[in-house]
Amino acid sequence: MIEAHGVSKLYNRSVYALRDLTLTVEKGDFVFLTGPSGAGKSTLLRLLLREEVPNKGTLKVAGRDLARLTTRQVQAYRRGVGFVFQDFKLIPRMTVLENVAFVPRVLGAGSPQMQRRTFQVLKWVGLQHRMHAFPLELSGGEQQRIAIARALINDPVLVLADEPTGNLDPDLSLEIMNLFREINARGTTVVVATHDRELIRQVGRHTITLAHGRIVENE
Amino acid sequence: MRALRYCFDEATASLWRGRGASLLSILTIAIALFVLSGFLVVAANLERQIAQWSDAAELSVYLADDISQDQRLAVDRILAGHDSVVAAREYLSKADALRRFKRDFPDLAGTADGLSSNPFPASFEVRLRGAQSGGDAADRLAAELRQTLGVVDVRYDRQWIQRLSGVAVFCRVTAYVLGGILVGAAVLTVTSVVRLALYGRQDEIKIMELVGAPIGYIRGPFVLEGTLQGGIGAGLALAALWGGVLLVRTRGPQLLEGLADLSTTTFLPPSLAALLVAGGMLVGCVGGFIAARTAR
Ligand SMILES: Nc1ncnc2c1ncn2[C@@H]1O[C@H](COP(=O)(O)OP(=O)(O)OP(=O)(O)O)[C@@H](O)[C@H]1O
Ligand SMILES: [Mg+2]
Repeated sequence: MIEAHGVSKLYNRSVYALRDLTLTVEKGDFVFLTGPSGAGKSTLLRLLLREEVPNKGTLKVAGRDLARLTTRQVQAYRRGVGFVFQDFKLIPRMTVLENVAFVPRVLGAGSPQMQRRTFQVLKWVGLQHRMHAFPLELSGGEQQRIAIARALINDPVLVLADEPTGNLDPDLSLEIMNLFREINARGTTVVVATHDRELIRQVGRHTITLAHGRIVENE
Repeated sequence: MRALRYCFDEATASLWRGRGASLLSILTIAIALFVLSGFLVVAANLERQIAQWSDAAELSVYLADDISQDQRLAVDRILAGHDSVVAAREYLSKADALRRFKRDFPDLAGTADGLSSNPFPASFEVRLRGAQSGGDAADRLAAELRQTLGVVDVRYDRQWIQRLSGVAVFCRVTAYVLGGILVGAAVLTVTSVVRLALYGRQDEIKIMELVGAPIGYIRGPFVLEGTLQGGIGAGLALAALWGGVLLVRTRGPQLLEGLADLSTTTFLPPSLAALLVAGGMLVGCVGGFIAARTAR
Protein backbone atom coordinates (compact mmCIF):
# COMPACT_ATOMS: atom_id res chain seq x y z
CA MET A 1 0.00 0.00 0.00
CA ILE A 2 2.73 2.46 1.03
CA GLU A 3 6.25 2.27 -0.35
CA ALA A 4 8.77 4.84 0.76
CA HIS A 5 12.19 4.71 -0.82
CA GLY A 6 15.00 6.91 0.46
CA VAL A 7 12.53 9.64 1.37
CA SER A 8 14.04 12.83 2.76
CA LYS A 9 12.23 15.98 3.73
CA LEU A 10 14.04 19.05 4.88
CA TYR A 11 12.86 22.42 6.06
CA ASN A 12 15.10 25.50 5.93
CA ARG A 13 17.92 23.72 4.08
CA SER A 14 19.53 22.29 7.20
CA VAL A 15 16.71 20.79 9.27
CA TYR A 16 15.94 17.23 8.16
CA ALA A 17 12.43 16.29 9.27
CA LEU A 18 12.85 12.93 7.53
CA ARG A 19 16.13 11.43 6.41
CA ASP A 20 16.54 8.65 3.87
CA LEU A 21 13.42 6.85 5.01
CA THR A 22 12.65 3.46 3.46
CA LEU A 23 9.63 1.47 4.56
CA THR A 24 6.75 -0.63 3.29
CA VAL A 25 3.24 -0.84 4.65
CA GLU A 26 1.11 -3.70 3.31
CA LYS A 27 -2.46 -3.29 2.25
CA GLY A 28 -4.76 -3.91 5.21
CA ASP A 29 -1.97 -3.26 7.69
CA PHE A 30 -2.38 -1.36 10.97
CA VAL A 31 0.75 0.67 11.70
CA PHE A 32 1.74 2.74 14.69
CA LEU A 33 4.20 5.53 14.01
CA THR A 34 5.95 6.53 17.17
CA GLY A 35 9.03 8.30 18.46
CA PRO A 36 9.93 11.40 20.42
CA SER A 37 8.66 14.86 19.62
CA GLY A 38 10.23 16.21 16.46
CA ALA A 39 10.99 12.73 15.14
CA GLY A 40 9.13 13.37 11.91
CA LYS A 41 5.85 11.52 12.47
CA SER A 42 3.61 14.40 11.40
CA THR A 43 5.90 15.14 8.50
CA LEU A 44 5.50 11.61 7.15
CA LEU A 45 1.71 11.86 7.48
CA ARG A 46 1.75 15.19 5.63
CA LEU A 47 3.70 13.58 2.84
CA LEU A 48 1.17 10.74 2.74
CA LEU A 49 -1.70 13.25 2.52
CA ARG A 50 0.24 14.88 -0.30
CA GLU A 51 0.29 18.21 1.51
CA GLU A 52 3.99 18.23 0.77
CA VAL A 53 6.36 16.27 -1.43
CA PRO A 54 9.71 14.72 -0.45
CA ASN A 55 12.89 16.59 -1.38
CA LYS A 56 14.49 13.26 -2.21
CA GLY A 57 13.38 9.69 -2.75
CA THR A 58 10.01 8.37 -3.88
CA LEU A 59 6.84 7.85 -1.94
CA LYS A 60 4.26 5.60 -3.57
CA VAL A 61 0.76 4.84 -2.39
CA ALA A 62 -1.15 2.09 -4.19
CA GLY A 63 1.52 2.20 -6.86
CA ARG A 64 1.21 5.94 -7.57
CA ASP A 65 4.18 8.22 -7.05
CA LEU A 66 2.70 11.04 -5.00
CA ALA A 67 5.22 13.61 -6.22
CA ARG A 68 4.11 13.13 -9.82
CA LEU A 69 0.39 13.73 -9.40
CA THR A 70 -1.31 16.63 -11.14
CA THR A 71 -3.66 18.89 -9.15
CA ARG A 72 -6.65 16.86 -10.29
CA GLN A 73 -4.93 13.60 -9.49
CA VAL A 74 -4.11 14.91 -6.02
CA GLN A 75 -7.80 15.65 -5.50
CA ALA A 76 -8.75 12.18 -6.69
CA TYR A 77 -6.07 10.61 -4.48
CA ARG A 78 -7.22 12.48 -1.38
CA ARG A 79 -10.79 11.30 -1.88
CA GLY A 80 -9.50 7.82 -1.13
CA VAL A 81 -7.68 8.87 2.03
CA GLY A 82 -9.31 9.61 5.39
CA PHE A 83 -7.54 11.73 7.99
CA VAL A 84 -7.97 12.40 11.70
CA PHE A 85 -6.12 15.04 13.74
CA GLN A 86 -5.40 15.56 17.38
CA ASP A 87 -7.51 18.74 17.46
CA PHE A 88 -10.43 17.12 15.53
CA LYS A 89 -10.74 20.04 13.07
CA LEU A 90 -14.51 20.08 13.19
CA ILE A 91 -16.31 23.19 11.94
CA PRO A 92 -17.88 24.82 15.01
CA ARG A 93 -20.75 26.55 13.23
CA MET A 94 -22.00 23.31 11.72
CA THR A 95 -23.90 20.56 13.51
CA VAL A 96 -22.49 17.06 13.81
CA LEU A 97 -24.57 15.98 10.86
CA GLU A 98 -23.44 18.92 8.74
CA ASN A 99 -19.82 18.35 9.66
CA VAL A 100 -19.93 14.80 8.43
CA ALA A 101 -22.08 15.58 5.41
CA PHE A 102 -19.73 18.44 4.53
CA VAL A 103 -17.32 16.07 2.80
CA PRO A 104 -19.72 14.51 0.28
CA ARG A 105 -21.31 17.94 -0.17
CA VAL A 106 -18.09 19.63 -1.27
CA LEU A 107 -17.29 16.64 -3.44
CA GLY A 108 -20.56 17.15 -5.29
CA ALA A 109 -22.26 13.94 -4.14
CA GLY A 110 -26.03 13.63 -4.54
CA SER A 111 -28.27 14.18 -1.55
CA PRO A 112 -30.07 10.85 -0.95
CA GLN A 113 -26.94 8.69 -1.02
CA MET A 114 -25.11 11.33 0.96
CA GLN A 115 -27.72 11.27 3.71
CA ARG A 116 -27.84 7.53 3.91
CA ARG A 117 -24.09 7.29 4.13
CA THR A 118 -23.91 10.08 6.75
CA PHE A 119 -26.39 8.31 9.03
CA GLN A 120 -24.51 5.07 8.49
CA VAL A 121 -21.13 6.39 9.65
CA LEU A 122 -22.65 8.34 12.54
CA LYS A 123 -24.38 5.19 13.71
CA TRP A 124 -21.15 3.33 13.29
CA VAL A 125 -19.29 5.65 15.69
CA GLY A 126 -22.33 5.53 17.99
CA LEU A 127 -23.33 9.18 17.81
CA GLN A 128 -26.44 9.25 15.65
CA HIS A 129 -28.41 10.52 18.66
CA ARG A 130 -26.21 13.65 18.83
CA MET A 131 -26.35 14.53 15.17
CA HIS A 132 -28.07 17.89 15.72
CA ALA A 133 -25.63 18.98 18.42
CA PHE A 134 -22.78 21.36 17.71
CA PRO A 135 -19.20 20.12 18.14
CA LEU A 136 -18.51 22.34 21.14
CA GLU A 137 -21.45 20.77 22.97
CA LEU A 138 -19.70 17.41 22.79
CA SER A 139 -16.93 15.87 24.87
CA GLY A 140 -13.46 15.48 23.38
CA GLY A 141 -14.00 11.76 22.82
CA GLU A 142 -17.29 12.40 21.08
CA GLN A 143 -15.73 15.10 18.90
CA GLN A 144 -13.01 12.73 17.86
CA ARG A 145 -15.59 10.08 16.98
CA ILE A 146 -17.30 12.63 14.74
CA ALA A 147 -13.98 13.37 13.09
CA ILE A 148 -13.51 9.64 12.53
CA ALA A 149 -17.00 9.36 11.07
CA ARG A 150 -16.08 12.16 8.69
CA ALA A 151 -12.87 10.38 7.72
CA LEU A 152 -14.80 7.23 6.91
CA ILE A 153 -17.61 8.68 4.87
CA ASN A 154 -15.81 8.22 1.55
CA ASP A 155 -14.89 4.59 2.22
CA PRO A 156 -11.17 5.38 2.19
CA VAL A 157 -8.57 2.75 1.37
CA LEU A 158 -6.13 4.46 3.72
CA VAL A 159 -6.80 6.23 7.03
CA LEU A 160 -4.14 8.52 8.51
CA ALA A 161 -4.36 9.73 12.11
CA ASP A 162 -1.98 12.18 13.78
CA GLU A 163 -2.12 11.88 17.58
CA PRO A 164 -5.85 11.10 17.47
CA THR A 165 -5.91 10.44 21.22
CA GLY A 166 -3.54 13.25 22.20
CA ASN A 167 -6.33 15.22 23.86
CA LEU A 168 -8.14 12.27 25.43
CA ASP A 169 -7.80 10.36 28.70
CA PRO A 170 -6.56 6.73 28.61
CA ASP A 171 -10.00 5.04 28.65
CA LEU A 172 -11.28 7.16 25.81
CA SER A 173 -8.02 6.64 23.96
CA LEU A 174 -8.51 2.91 24.01
CA GLU A 175 -12.09 3.33 22.85
CA ILE A 176 -10.97 5.44 19.89
CA MET A 177 -8.20 2.98 19.12
CA ASN A 178 -10.76 0.20 19.03
CA LEU A 179 -12.66 2.16 16.42
CA PHE A 180 -9.50 2.27 14.31
CA ARG A 181 -9.07 -1.45 14.81
CA GLU A 182 -12.59 -2.04 13.56
CA ILE A 183 -11.92 0.13 10.53
CA ASN A 184 -8.79 -1.90 9.90
CA ALA A 185 -10.69 -5.16 10.31
CA ARG A 186 -12.76 -4.21 7.27
CA GLY A 187 -9.65 -4.10 5.13
CA THR A 188 -8.71 -0.42 5.36
CA THR A 189 -5.02 0.35 5.85
CA VAL A 190 -4.55 2.47 9.01
CA VAL A 191 -1.53 4.56 10.02
CA VAL A 192 -1.66 6.13 13.48
CA ALA A 193 1.04 8.48 14.80
CA THR A 194 1.23 8.58 18.58
CA HIS A 195 3.77 8.79 21.34
CA ASP A 196 1.51 7.00 23.77
CA ARG A 197 3.65 3.87 24.38
CA GLU A 198 1.10 2.47 26.81
CA LEU A 199 -1.58 2.56 24.17
CA ILE A 200 0.67 0.82 21.66
CA ARG A 201 1.43 -1.86 24.22
CA GLN A 202 -2.28 -2.45 24.80
CA VAL A 203 -3.16 -2.58 21.13
CA GLY A 204 0.08 -4.22 20.02
CA ARG A 205 0.49 -3.83 16.30
CA HIS A 206 3.11 -3.18 13.65
CA THR A 207 5.10 -0.29 15.12
CA ILE A 208 7.60 1.95 13.38
CA THR A 209 9.72 4.05 15.68
CA LEU A 210 11.29 7.23 14.33
CA ALA A 211 13.96 9.44 15.82
CA HIS A 212 15.51 12.47 14.15
CA GLY A 213 13.81 11.59 10.91
CA ARG A 214 15.17 8.03 10.72
CA ILE A 215 13.67 4.65 11.46
CA VAL A 216 15.19 3.27 14.62
CA GLU A 217 12.85 0.33 15.03
CA ASN A 218 10.39 -1.48 12.76
CA GLU A 219 8.60 -4.46 14.24
CA MET B 1 -25.42 22.51 -11.57
CA ARG B 2 -24.99 21.06 -8.12
CA ALA B 3 -21.72 22.97 -7.83
CA LEU B 4 -23.48 26.22 -8.71
CA ARG B 5 -26.18 25.51 -6.18
CA TYR B 6 -23.55 24.77 -3.54
CA CYS B 7 -21.63 27.97 -4.33
CA PHE B 8 -24.82 30.03 -4.22
CA ASP B 9 -25.95 28.58 -0.89
CA GLU B 10 -22.54 29.12 0.64
CA ALA B 11 -22.17 32.64 -0.79
CA THR B 12 -25.55 33.83 0.49
CA ALA B 13 -24.95 32.22 3.88
CA SER B 14 -21.56 33.91 4.09
CA LEU B 15 -23.01 37.26 3.01
CA TRP B 16 -25.51 37.01 5.80
CA ARG B 17 -23.01 35.81 8.38
CA GLY B 18 -20.72 38.76 7.64
CA ARG B 19 -23.53 41.19 6.96
CA GLY B 20 -21.73 44.15 8.55
CA ALA B 21 -18.73 43.85 6.29
CA SER B 22 -20.87 42.83 3.32
CA LEU B 23 -22.94 45.96 3.75
CA LEU B 24 -19.75 48.00 3.69
CA SER B 25 -18.64 46.63 0.36
CA ILE B 26 -22.16 46.78 -1.06
CA LEU B 27 -22.27 50.46 -0.10
CA THR B 28 -18.88 51.27 -1.63
CA ILE B 29 -19.97 49.67 -4.87
CA ALA B 30 -23.29 51.48 -4.68
CA ILE B 31 -21.60 54.84 -4.09
CA ALA B 32 -19.09 54.30 -6.89
CA LEU B 33 -21.78 53.36 -9.38
CA PHE B 34 -24.13 56.08 -8.13
CA VAL B 35 -21.51 58.75 -8.75
CA LEU B 36 -20.64 57.27 -12.14
CA SER B 37 -24.21 56.94 -13.32
CA GLY B 38 -25.30 60.18 -11.63
CA PHE B 39 -22.86 62.24 -13.64
CA LEU B 40 -23.83 60.33 -16.77
CA VAL B 41 -27.50 61.13 -16.21
CA VAL B 42 -26.75 64.81 -15.66
CA ALA B 43 -24.60 64.89 -18.78
CA ALA B 44 -27.22 63.12 -20.88
CA ASN B 45 -29.97 65.46 -19.72
CA LEU B 46 -27.82 68.53 -20.30
CA GLU B 47 -27.02 67.34 -23.79
CA ARG B 48 -30.67 66.73 -24.49
CA GLN B 49 -31.55 70.18 -23.17
CA ILE B 50 -28.78 71.77 -25.19
CA ALA B 51 -30.04 70.11 -28.34
CA GLN B 52 -33.50 71.49 -27.60
CA TRP B 53 -32.19 74.96 -26.92
CA SER B 54 -30.08 74.99 -30.00
CA ASP B 55 -33.15 74.14 -32.05
CA ALA B 56 -34.86 77.15 -30.56
CA ALA B 57 -31.79 79.36 -30.52
CA GLU B 58 -32.45 83.01 -31.19
CA LEU B 59 -30.37 85.74 -32.65
CA SER B 60 -31.30 89.27 -31.62
CA VAL B 61 -30.16 92.15 -33.84
CA TYR B 62 -30.55 95.41 -31.96
CA LEU B 63 -30.96 98.49 -34.09
CA ALA B 64 -29.91 102.05 -33.41
CA ASP B 65 -32.70 104.46 -32.52
CA ASP B 66 -31.74 106.71 -35.42
CA ILE B 67 -31.60 103.95 -38.00
CA SER B 68 -32.79 104.97 -41.44
CA GLN B 69 -35.40 103.13 -43.46
CA ASP B 70 -32.74 102.11 -46.02
CA GLN B 71 -30.43 100.80 -43.38
CA ARG B 72 -33.22 98.76 -41.83
CA LEU B 73 -34.10 97.27 -45.23
CA ALA B 74 -30.42 96.45 -45.72
CA VAL B 75 -30.39 94.48 -42.48
CA ASP B 76 -33.55 92.70 -43.52
CA ARG B 77 -31.97 91.84 -46.87
CA ILE B 78 -28.93 90.32 -45.20
CA LEU B 79 -31.18 88.12 -43.08
CA ALA B 80 -33.24 87.13 -46.09
CA GLY B 81 -30.07 86.19 -47.94
CA HIS B 82 -29.10 83.66 -45.27
CA ASP B 83 -32.11 81.41 -45.35
CA SER B 84 -29.90 78.35 -44.84
CA VAL B 85 -29.28 79.66 -41.32
CA VAL B 86 -32.33 81.75 -40.64
CA ALA B 87 -35.59 79.92 -40.01
CA ALA B 88 -37.75 82.98 -39.38
CA ARG B 89 -37.33 86.67 -38.65
CA GLU B 90 -39.57 89.20 -37.05
CA TYR B 91 -39.17 92.94 -36.80
CA LEU B 92 -39.83 94.35 -33.36
CA SER B 93 -40.27 98.13 -33.18
CA LYS B 94 -39.39 100.14 -30.09
CA ALA B 95 -43.09 100.20 -29.18
CA ASP B 96 -43.36 96.43 -29.69
CA ALA B 97 -40.34 95.91 -27.43
CA LEU B 98 -41.94 98.04 -24.69
CA ARG B 99 -45.21 96.16 -25.01
CA ARG B 100 -43.44 92.82 -24.84
CA PHE B 101 -41.57 93.95 -21.75
CA LYS B 102 -44.79 94.98 -20.04
CA ARG B 103 -46.36 91.67 -20.96
CA ASP B 104 -43.42 89.57 -19.70
CA PHE B 105 -42.83 91.55 -16.53
CA PRO B 106 -46.20 92.95 -15.39
CA ASP B 107 -44.74 93.89 -11.98
CA LEU B 108 -42.32 96.27 -13.63
CA ALA B 109 -44.80 97.71 -16.09
CA GLY B 110 -45.41 100.72 -13.84
CA THR B 111 -41.72 101.52 -13.72
CA ALA B 112 -41.56 101.52 -17.49
CA ASP B 113 -44.54 103.86 -17.67
CA GLY B 114 -42.75 106.31 -15.43
CA LEU B 115 -39.93 106.72 -17.91
CA SER B 116 -39.98 109.80 -20.05
CA SER B 117 -38.81 108.00 -23.18
CA ASN B 118 -38.96 104.40 -24.40
CA PRO B 119 -35.51 102.82 -23.57
CA PHE B 120 -36.05 99.67 -25.56
CA PRO B 121 -34.29 99.40 -28.93
CA ALA B 122 -35.99 98.10 -32.01
CA SER B 123 -34.71 94.71 -33.14
CA PHE B 124 -34.95 91.82 -35.49
CA GLU B 125 -35.73 88.62 -33.61
CA VAL B 126 -34.30 85.78 -35.67
CA ARG B 127 -35.01 82.07 -35.13
CA LEU B 128 -32.10 79.98 -36.32
CA ARG B 129 -32.35 76.61 -37.96
CA GLY B 130 -31.45 73.89 -35.39
CA ALA B 131 -28.79 72.19 -37.41
CA GLN B 132 -27.09 75.48 -38.21
CA SER B 133 -27.44 77.32 -34.96
CA GLY B 134 -24.26 75.91 -33.47
CA GLY B 135 -22.27 76.18 -36.65
CA ASP B 136 -19.86 78.63 -38.20
CA ALA B 137 -22.48 79.97 -40.59
CA ALA B 138 -24.35 81.58 -37.68
CA ASP B 139 -21.05 83.03 -36.46
CA ARG B 140 -20.35 84.53 -39.86
CA LEU B 141 -23.85 85.94 -40.09
CA ALA B 142 -23.47 87.55 -36.65
CA ALA B 143 -20.12 89.06 -37.64
CA GLU B 144 -21.54 90.43 -40.88
CA LEU B 145 -24.49 92.00 -39.06
CA ARG B 146 -22.21 93.64 -36.53
CA GLN B 147 -20.41 95.41 -39.40
CA THR B 148 -23.66 96.65 -40.84
CA LEU B 149 -24.63 100.30 -40.38
CA GLY B 150 -27.48 100.92 -37.97
CA VAL B 151 -26.85 97.74 -35.95
CA VAL B 152 -25.76 98.44 -32.38
CA ASP B 153 -25.50 94.92 -31.07
CA VAL B 154 -25.97 91.31 -32.04
CA ARG B 155 -26.68 88.81 -29.35
CA TYR B 156 -27.30 85.17 -29.70
CA ASP B 157 -27.44 82.07 -27.51
CA ARG B 158 -24.47 80.28 -28.92
CA GLN B 159 -21.96 81.28 -26.22
CA TRP B 160 -24.37 80.02 -23.63
CA ILE B 161 -24.89 76.77 -25.38
CA GLN B 162 -21.19 76.33 -25.87
CA ARG B 163 -20.58 76.89 -22.20
CA LEU B 164 -23.31 74.39 -21.32
CA SER B 165 -21.83 71.88 -23.73
CA GLY B 166 -18.58 72.33 -21.85
CA VAL B 167 -20.38 71.54 -18.61
CA ALA B 168 -21.87 68.42 -20.17
CA VAL B 169 -18.47 67.24 -21.34
CA PHE B 170 -17.10 67.97 -17.88
CA CYS B 171 -19.85 65.84 -16.34
CA ARG B 172 -19.05 62.97 -18.67
CA VAL B 173 -15.32 63.15 -17.96
CA THR B 174 -15.98 63.41 -14.23
CA ALA B 175 -18.24 60.38 -14.45
CA TYR B 176 -15.45 58.32 -15.96
CA VAL B 177 -12.54 59.62 -13.90
CA LEU B 178 -14.21 59.86 -10.49
CA GLY B 179 -16.33 56.79 -11.19
CA GLY B 180 -13.19 54.92 -12.24
CA ILE B 181 -11.37 55.83 -9.04
CA LEU B 182 -14.34 54.89 -6.89
CA VAL B 183 -14.78 51.63 -8.77
CA GLY B 184 -11.13 50.87 -8.06
CA ALA B 185 -11.74 51.56 -4.37
CA ALA B 186 -14.81 49.33 -4.51
CA VAL B 187 -12.75 46.45 -5.93
CA LEU B 188 -10.30 46.85 -3.06
CA THR B 189 -13.10 46.89 -0.51
CA VAL B 190 -14.74 43.79 -1.93
CA THR B 191 -11.37 42.07 -1.97
CA SER B 192 -10.75 42.78 1.70
CA VAL B 193 -14.28 41.92 2.74
CA VAL B 194 -14.23 38.62 0.88
CA ARG B 195 -10.75 37.93 2.22
CA LEU B 196 -12.13 38.53 5.69
CA ALA B 197 -14.84 35.95 5.09
CA LEU B 198 -12.17 33.65 3.76
CA TYR B 199 -9.93 33.98 6.81
CA GLY B 200 -12.94 33.24 8.98
CA ARG B 201 -13.26 29.95 7.16
CA GLN B 202 -9.67 28.77 7.01
CA ASP B 203 -10.48 25.46 8.76
CA GLU B 204 -13.25 24.77 6.33
CA ILE B 205 -11.04 25.50 3.35
CA LYS B 206 -8.29 23.34 4.81
CA ILE B 207 -10.68 20.42 5.20
CA MET B 208 -12.01 20.92 1.69
CA GLU B 209 -8.48 20.74 0.34
CA LEU B 210 -7.65 17.65 2.36
CA VAL B 211 -10.71 15.73 1.23
CA GLY B 212 -9.92 16.57 -2.39
CA ALA B 213 -12.70 19.05 -3.13
CA PRO B 214 -12.52 20.55 -6.65
CA ILE B 215 -11.11 24.05 -6.86
CA GLY B 216 -14.49 25.38 -8.02
CA TYR B 217 -16.09 24.29 -4.77
CA ILE B 218 -13.33 25.97 -2.80
CA ARG B 219 -13.13 29.28 -4.64
CA GLY B 220 -16.56 29.47 -6.24
CA PRO B 221 -18.47 30.63 -3.17
CA PHE B 222 -16.07 33.52 -2.60
CA VAL B 223 -16.17 34.69 -6.20
CA LEU B 224 -19.95 34.48 -6.12
CA GLU B 225 -20.08 36.31 -2.80
CA GLY B 226 -18.20 39.22 -4.36
CA THR B 227 -20.40 39.07 -7.45
CA LEU B 228 -23.54 39.21 -5.32
CA GLN B 229 -22.19 42.19 -3.39
CA GLY B 230 -21.56 43.93 -6.70
CA GLY B 231 -25.00 43.13 -8.07
CA ILE B 232 -26.79 44.32 -4.94
CA GLY B 233 -24.63 47.46 -4.82
CA ALA B 234 -25.43 48.27 -8.45
CA GLY B 235 -29.12 47.70 -7.77
CA LEU B 236 -29.00 50.10 -4.84
CA ALA B 237 -27.18 52.71 -6.93
CA LEU B 238 -29.77 52.51 -9.69
CA ALA B 239 -32.63 52.69 -7.19
CA ALA B 240 -31.11 55.79 -5.56
CA LEU B 241 -30.54 57.37 -8.94
CA TRP B 242 -34.10 56.60 -10.02
CA GLY B 243 -35.34 58.21 -6.82
CA GLY B 244 -33.22 61.25 -7.57
CA VAL B 245 -34.59 61.54 -11.09
CA LEU B 246 -38.18 61.26 -9.80
CA LEU B 247 -37.46 63.98 -7.26
CA VAL B 248 -36.08 66.29 -9.91
CA ARG B 249 -39.09 65.56 -12.13
CA THR B 250 -41.62 66.45 -9.46
CA ARG B 251 -39.82 69.18 -7.52
CA GLY B 252 -37.49 70.48 -10.21
CA PRO B 253 -40.00 72.46 -12.30
CA GLN B 254 -40.68 74.79 -9.37
CA LEU B 255 -36.99 75.43 -8.93
CA LEU B 256 -36.11 76.32 -12.47
CA GLU B 257 -39.45 77.63 -13.64
CA GLY B 258 -39.61 78.38 -17.30
CA LEU B 259 -35.90 77.96 -17.90
CA ALA B 260 -35.85 74.26 -18.61
CA ASP B 261 -38.45 71.58 -18.46
CA LEU B 262 -37.19 69.35 -15.68
CA SER B 263 -40.34 67.24 -15.63
CA THR B 264 -39.03 65.34 -18.62
CA THR B 265 -35.65 64.53 -17.04
CA THR B 266 -34.64 61.16 -18.40
CA PHE B 267 -33.17 58.16 -16.60
CA LEU B 268 -30.43 55.96 -17.99
CA PRO B 269 -31.48 53.97 -21.03
CA PRO B 270 -32.34 50.37 -20.01
CA SER B 271 -29.34 48.95 -21.82
CA LEU B 272 -26.97 51.22 -19.90
CA ALA B 273 -28.70 50.40 -16.61
CA ALA B 274 -28.29 46.70 -17.37
CA LEU B 275 -24.67 47.34 -18.26
CA LEU B 276 -24.20 49.09 -14.93
CA VAL B 277 -25.58 46.12 -12.99
CA ALA B 278 -23.36 43.82 -15.02
CA GLY B 279 -20.45 46.16 -14.31
CA GLY B 280 -21.20 46.09 -10.59
CA MET B 281 -21.26 42.32 -10.65
CA LEU B 282 -18.00 42.29 -12.58
CA VAL B 283 -16.43 44.61 -10.02
CA GLY B 284 -17.55 42.28 -7.22
CA CYS B 285 -16.49 39.23 -9.17
CA VAL B 286 -12.99 40.63 -9.70
CA GLY B 287 -12.70 41.50 -6.01
CA GLY B 288 -13.97 38.06 -5.01
CA PHE B 289 -11.63 36.39 -7.46
CA ILE B 290 -8.57 38.26 -6.20
CA ALA B 291 -9.48 37.27 -2.65
CA ALA B 292 -10.29 33.67 -3.57
CA ARG B 293 -6.87 33.21 -5.12
CA THR B 294 -5.59 33.18 -1.54
CA ALA B 295 -7.57 29.96 -1.12
CA ARG B 296 -5.32 27.52 -2.90
N1 LIG C 1 6.55 23.68 8.45
C1 LIG C 1 7.76 23.43 9.04
N2 LIG C 1 8.75 24.34 8.89
C2 LIG C 1 9.96 24.12 9.47
N3 LIG C 1 10.27 23.04 10.17
C3 LIG C 1 9.31 22.12 10.37
C4 LIG C 1 8.02 22.27 9.81
N4 LIG C 1 7.27 21.20 10.15
C5 LIG C 1 8.08 20.42 10.89
N5 LIG C 1 9.30 20.95 11.02
C6 LIG C 1 10.45 20.34 11.72
O1 LIG C 1 10.58 19.02 11.29
C7 LIG C 1 10.88 18.17 12.35
C8 LIG C 1 9.86 17.05 12.46
O2 LIG C 1 8.61 17.61 12.83
P1 LIG C 1 7.30 16.75 12.99
O3 LIG C 1 6.18 17.69 13.24
O4 LIG C 1 7.18 15.84 11.86
O5 LIG C 1 7.60 15.93 14.32
P2 LIG C 1 6.63 14.98 15.14
O6 LIG C 1 7.30 13.68 15.18
O7 LIG C 1 5.27 15.03 14.57
O8 LIG C 1 6.65 15.66 16.57
P3 LIG C 1 5.47 15.73 17.65
O9 LIG C 1 5.45 14.43 18.33
O10 LIG C 1 5.90 16.84 18.55
O11 LIG C 1 4.19 16.04 16.92
C9 LIG C 1 10.95 19.04 13.60
O12 LIG C 1 12.30 19.31 13.87
C10 LIG C 1 10.20 20.27 13.20
O13 LIG C 1 10.75 21.39 13.87
MG1 LIG D 1 3.37 15.70 15.24
